[in-house]
Amino acid sequence: MADELVERCKQGDEGAWRELVEATYRDVYTLCLRVLGDPDDAVEATQDAYLKAYRGLRGFRGEAMFSTWLYRVATNAAISKHRARTRRRSREAGPGDEVLEQIPARGSVEAAAGAKVEMDRLQEALQALPPLYREAVVLRDVYGLGIEELAKRLEISETAAKVRVHRGRKKLKEMLFSEDEDAV
Amino acid sequence: MRCEEIQTMLPAFADEKPVQLGVRRHLARCADCRAELDRYEALAGGLAALATTTAEPPAALLPALVDIPARRTRIEEARSHVARNRKRYLGGLAGAIAVAGAAVALRSRRVAAA
Repeated sequence: MADELVERCKQGDEGAWRELVEATYRDVYTLCLRVLGDPDDAVEATQDAYLKAYRGLRGFRGEAMFSTWLYRVATNAAISKHRARTRRRSREAGPGDEVLEQIPARGSVEAAAGAKVEMDRLQEALQALPPLYREAVVLRDVYGLGIEELAKRLEISETAAKVRVHRGRKKLKEMLFSEDEDAV
Repeated sequence: MRCEEIQTMLPAFADEKPVQLGVRRHLARCADCRAELDRYEALAGGLAALATTTAEPPAALLPALVDIPARRTRIEEARSHVARNRKRYLGGLAGAIAVAGAAVALRSRRVAAA
């Protein structure tokens, strides 16, 4: 299905482009929002990603699945936007409620031995995480990038990538469970 | 091994399970470290579960994305129009510069005469 749409897009079929966008843009926007934590930046990164994807379609040979390729383009667009934003603001303000309201994950996830993570609290904690750690944890633990791939995308060493992921996890764990630990 | 040593290793256990015998023995004996590991496992499960949820994008985003091919076509048409009419545009620009130069020269001559 996607392959056929991609082929039609390469021939300049705007209807096929629309179908391709409609099928994928929510996931791409969500990825950008999770990495960047800001809806305006996520919109800009999503637009950059699709612009690059459109330009790069002719070069897409279909070795990877289209969605995998598009995710890669989107991840790079979000990372570039993050770098530009970091240069722009040395300190980032906390997230607005708007971001949290947009992601409708509810309920909780429980580990085998009983520790429980409430999904809305996890979203809050993720948004409050320093951007460098959020970017690494989101790409590694939400989207499943390997450490080698993560290091390549972030243009850092594998050791540095691991350190960011581990520190991010530790901070998240502290944010989510500090109240439980205080109560014990 | 001490609890502090074990707990610095716990964030890595989502990627690779502990293989060292000392670590495994400590976890088998220490309820605090096991509870901490349990929290990290719940966190890993929660983060993985986020991959199945999506945010609702702003309404204006879809039309902007759908419009990308048409926008590129308009830009390409504008570029090729400029390329086709380059000589005419350059001629016009040269003419405008000549008129501006003449006006400046005339004005300086009048100022000098006054």
